[in-house]
Amino acid sequence: MVLHTVNCPPSHPALGQCLRLLAPGDALLLLGDGVYAALAGSRAAAELAASGAALHVLDVDARAAGVLERLADGVSVCDDEGFVALTERYPRQQAWY
Amino acid sequence: MSAPSVLLVTRHAPYGASLARSALDAALAAAAFDRPPTLLFLGDGVLQLLPGQDASGIGTRSHRRVLDSLPLYGIDTLYVDSQALAGHDLTAADLPPGARPVDDAAIRALLAGHDHILGF
Repeated sequence: MVLHTVNCPPSHPALGQCLRLLAPGDALLLLGDGVYAALAGSRAAAELAASGAALHVLDVDARAAGVLERLADGVSVCDDEGFVALTERYPRQQAWY
Repeated sequence: MSAPSVLLVTRHAPYGASLARSALDAALAAAAFDRPPTLLFLGDGVLQLLPGQDASGIGTRSHRRVLDSLPLYGIDTLYVDSQALAGHDLTAADLPPGARPVDDAAIRALLAGHDHILGF
């Protein structure tokens, strides 16, 4: 089980690579420009939901971007402590940027 | 306790940024401490493997040449994103000896199967 962190916007090829390799049981945290992939109704959000991975978004970045107001279903909001907790739960991490 | 296994993921082309070079430096450093990592070339990272590189004109060493020297340092496990290979019309014949193309399922198994992941 791997924690994937994504901080590139949805059009970036790194998100496509991440989507290819996400496995059910993995977790994914969207931060920085990555939070736009959690926009309700967006193609990226649909593809993430189909992955079967546990989806998280960093609260401050999602709020800054206006994404918190229109967050896709199934994406949980996590603060810095939640981020740390994720890194404890998933010792393997892959950063997509 | 056996030594923790390290997967080094390298995702960028060799000369446009320093990331690919840094990945190799990290691999060599780990090998120097008897922890030779497994290397995974993903996405544009497969462009590091193009044969026939000559970087003398841009004042640096040929990246492929450094890659070819990795077995000397005990780094001989190289995996290559087969989808990216096909996307750039590269074939197994272009790869350094011993490098193995892997599909997405095998890459997921590599990510989940090592104790640590280093991403570049």
